[in-house]
Amino acid sequence: MNAVSIFTLILGLGLIAWLSARAKAMRLASASSEAGPAAHRRPLLHSLPGFHGWYAALWVVAPAMLFMAVWANVMPALVTDRVLHDPAAATLPLDPMSRGAILSEARNVAQGGAQVAFDPRANALVEPYRAAQRLYSLGGAIVALMLAFAGGAYAFTRVRPDFRARNKVERVVMGALLTASLIAIITTVGIVASLLWESLRFFSFVNPFDFLFGTKWSPQSAALGYGSDNAFGAVPLFWGTIFIGAIIAMVVAIPLGLMSAVYLTQYAKPRARAWLKPILEVLAGVPTVVYGYFAALTIAPNMRDFAVMLGIPNASSESALAAGLVMGVMIIPFVSSMADDSIASVPQAMRDGSLAMGATTSETIRQVLVPAALPGVVGGVLLAVSRAIGETMIVVMAAGLAANLTLNPFASVTTVTTQIVQLLTGDQEFDSPKTLAAFALGLVLFVVTLLLNIVALRVVKRYREAYE
Amino acid sequence: MTAPVPSPQPDRAPTDWKGAAMQKRIAARYSAERRFRTLGLTAIVMSAGFLAYLLISMLHDGLAGFTRTEIAMRIDFPTAPIVLDPASLRSANADAALASVNWQSLTDQAAQENLGKDSIWLAPSAWVAVRDAVKHDPSVLQKVATLNLPASAELDLAAKSDGSDEAEAAYARLDKTGLVHRAVNWSFLTASDGTDPTQVGIWGAFKGSLLTMTVTLLLSFPIGVLAALYLEEYAPRNRWTDMIEVSINNLAAVPSIIFGLLGLAVFLNTLHLPRSAALVGGLTLALMTMPVIVIAGRNAIKAVPPSIRDAALGIGASPVQVVFHHVLPLALPGIMTGTIIGMARALGETAPLLMIGMRAFIASPPGGITDPATVLPVQIFLWSDEVSKGFVEKTSAAIIVLLAFLLGMNSIAIYLRNKFERRW
Amino acid sequence: MTDISNPKTPNPKMSARNVNVYYGEKQAIQNVSIDVDTDNVTAFIGPSGCGKSTFLRTLNRMNDTVASARVTGEITLDGEDIYSSGMDVVQLRARVGMVFQKPNPFPKSIYDNIAYGPRIHGLASSKADLDQIVESSLRRAGLWDEVKDRLKDSGTALSGGQQQRLCIGRAIAVEPEVILMDEPCSALDPIATAKIEELIHALRGRYAIVIVTHNMQQAARVSQRTAFFHLGTLVEYGVTSEIFTNPRELRTKDYITGRYG
Repeated sequence: MNAVSIFTLILGLGLIAWLSARAKAMRLASASSEAGPAAHRRPLLHSLPGFHGWYAALWVVAPAMLFMAVWANVMPALVTDRVLHDPAAATLPLDPMSRGAILSEARNVAQGGAQVAFDPRANALVEPYRAAQRLYSLGGAIVALMLAFAGGAYAFTRVRPDFRARNKVERVVMGALLTASLIAIITTVGIVASLLWESLRFFSFVNPFDFLFGTKWSPQSAALGYGSDNAFGAVPLFWGTIFIGAIIAMVVAIPLGLMSAVYLTQYAKPRARAWLKPILEVLAGVPTVVYGYFAALTIAPNMRDFAVMLGIPNASSESALAAGLVMGVMIIPFVSSMADDSIASVPQAMRDGSLAMGATTSETIRQVLVPAALPGVVGGVLLAVSRAIGETMIVVMAAGLAANLTLNPFASVTTVTTQIVQLLTGDQEFDSPKTLAAFALGLVLFVVTLLLNIVALRVVKRYREAYE
Repeated sequence: MTAPVPSPQPDRAPTDWKGAAMQKRIAARYSAERRFRTLGLTAIVMSAGFLAYLLISMLHDGLAGFTRTEIAMRIDFPTAPIVLDPASLRSANADAALASVNWQSLTDQAAQENLGKDSIWLAPSAWVAVRDAVKHDPSVLQKVATLNLPASAELDLAAKSDGSDEAEAAYARLDKTGLVHRAVNWSFLTASDGTDPTQVGIWGAFKGSLLTMTVTLLLSFPIGVLAALYLEEYAPRNRWTDMIEVSINNLAAVPSIIFGLLGLAVFLNTLHLPRSAALVGGLTLALMTMPVIVIAGRNAIKAVPPSIRDAALGIGASPVQVVFHHVLPLALPGIMTGTIIGMARALGETAPLLMIGMRAFIASPPGGITDPATVLPVQIFLWSDEVSKGFVEKTSAAIIVLLAFLLGMNSIAIYLRNKFERRW
Repeated sequence: MTDISNPKTPNPKMSARNVNVYYGEKQAIQNVSIDVDTDNVTAFIGPSGCGKSTFLRTLNRMNDTVASARVTGEITLDGEDIYSSGMDVVQLRARVGMVFQKPNPFPKSIYDNIAYGPRIHGLASSKADLDQIVESSLRRAGLWDEVKDRLKDSGTALSGGQQQRLCIGRAIAVEPEVILMDEPCSALDPIATAKIEELIHALRGRYAIVIVTHNMQQAARVSQRTAFFHLGTLVEYGVTSEIFTNPRELRTKDYITGRYG
């Protein structure tokens, strides 16, 4: 009996429980209202029949499902244990590694993943495996169904006029709501824990000081066994990230985004605004992989030709400039919408005050609106930087892998995210410092973006409060 | 209280607004105004221009990817050295019967007969087309049939005047005989990844995207909506609630690649879920999408006026009834809009999926959520890395498909927003 | 249409003839003709929504900032049509200053608030000149003694009444010919209001002043001429003492005696 059919069966039982408990409650309700005196019209059922139905259905479904979930986790161990006690398992090697390999091969065949196993010892175990699996899954199914029936019966006996089914059901609903909200915390904890855990393992190989302040990054040589002492200096990566995400991209995004917002809020007619704003938003909706492809295929070669024309040495076709430029364009709508919000929240009185002095619109914008909106704009820029330095695909596709410390925008630099992807793609051995380094980089990235966001949100919030 | 009587001041001469100096100054101020305005317009035009440049270059490169060059070939099946009974192709063992034939040599031979030395310009995978033609219509086995077979990637490029000199010469030669023509490349929409650019398609990646998005939606939508309801309607003001709020706001801003690291460390290395599978991809993207839905959901719920809640509470509804009967239905369009936008973002996401191994070479569409799969954006990334020039147009064509889908999703979101937006 | 009183004054600075204002389809001002006297304070009174503020904003073309607003008729400043193409709106607003209902100092220092107008209009030839303008404007606004030691502080850090006097000082700094005040005391406490009223007295004669107020006592205290607006029309215009003691129109009388409004 497979999991899906049991699942469906239990849900079906839940439906039956819902219908029958509701029917019973309705019968009770009509009986009590007939029995009661006409003047006494107050319904004698505490909860609506539907709630009794839900109560019963929950009792049928929840315990059974819970058991199924636990069983699904426990069962493989039980099955393996039983297989190991089979006479056919007596010939297995004692070495846990090859033993595990044979067992997993047998399991694969038994579950229909493969036609036949390569190892004859595994083939011998297939039948015992199947038998054990049949036994335990059947047992699990029977227990689950029994739980469902028991739960249903218990709930059914509790359908009485004065039973507070609604309160019970609502408590379960509230529990579900709370659990859903806690997922956010669990995810955050999961991120922090996994990054920290793997980073700590990395730092058992590499001195954190060398990692944060070293200037030589060559994880390949470390992987080849040239010693990992000085191969993990991440400063060139940090510089590349800042150079592309916080400098070049912002040089593009801040003026264009800010001026776009100014034009849209102060000059554009409502009709033009209705067209132009969505166009900017489309820029934000283009997937980053598309930007990356565009940067690598179209922008980067042009940049290199341009650099060669200028006679700049070391011009790379994976230049920081190409990646930063395209990233800046991607960030424009972000800066523009933050600036738009900030400018819009400067009180109209401020604008009127300046115009009434005989200032032109541009004087009003430059001397009153933008300075007044500055904290909001700065907050928005910080958020934009945090987004830019965490951006991955554009730099993976358009920036290079060479960890250079250079100020030349036409040269190739590499970034934190590029290196994370680089370190973690392909087959991974999980204990090598090379793969663990990706998590340390991830931790740095996480902490920096988190700080940027906290500071930015605080700046923006304080700014909003100033005008409320 | 002292009266603010002004102390005697030396009078300033009245401003001469009509004077030449002042007129000049005003003119300068107005031209500064015009310059500033033009600057703003320029910024917008540049942004929009970049978008147009991107879209046009994708369309320019990509539209060709939906077509292919075909060479018409006469194949004399009755005399061909194959033993295949058309009846067996209609039976249950059709696949086994087809597999018994050496289609490649059959095709090569026909190519030699038809094209002579130009047979090298036939796609290496052309035999697949022959086999499929026979499978589709077994009656061709009894006659001399003319089949349109895909040309090689190089000839295909030559047809677009982008090939090597040799290939362009060959194309000109073949074109004169009237054997070559361009046709819609339907297999681009139905096939999966491959090594030959004439043969690849997006169906495999597309199905992977569908499966991944299904998992993402099924997880993030209920969880996101329930969390939004809790935070907006029931949550007590305490430290736990604050922590939940801070977590959600921060998760919405965490770089997507961090979610990939989480997926790798937790789902793959700790829980041992299958690598490269839509299940893990969906889980990872669900964690990323959930905060977006929570934030959109909270805004939509906040927009439902308190008077509705008061009215429902006033007639004796319980807090849960108030929310599920009144608040949620009214907030649903807003929540849907936010969900679609979040899903569109997830559909275009690449980086976290690279971390959990969804960059595998998937030559057949995944059968379920635990099979190895790839998704559309990752497919684009993989093709963009291919050296073969024929992949450029395929990459752009895949980008067009992806953008079309995102555009569709966003249009639905905008439509929903406009249709159901209620001003209270 | 109401038969309005004589719009003329002996020495008009601005005069409006048959002015109509529309917001989109809606007409906000109907056929108003009125003179603003050079040497007197003119008060616009009337129930809220009667159009007095709207009309005030047509006098320095602040309605231009509302996209849907449309003005017909003629308004002149020293005989020059301010809605003609030859009139420059930037210069017009420098000559016809405005003080708003809620104090709206810029989020800049006190000094920069006052210096803003002279700077944009290029009225100061040197730093010393500008200092001089700032000091004299602040003195005239009756604020100098309170702020002379903290000119670098933000204008928004002042109290409400001080902020409003700062705004008046800001308007004065460009040496306007007319100052329009749109309920300048409505957001202030009585003591601050008294200071502003004294300031208006002190400024009278030097600038033509128009004040919109919903407070009739204030109109009676500060103005020499009063115009009563109702439902977008000018009902009555005349010498303040006459309007308050002997209104010719029944509606004016009803309003002044508090029958509606």
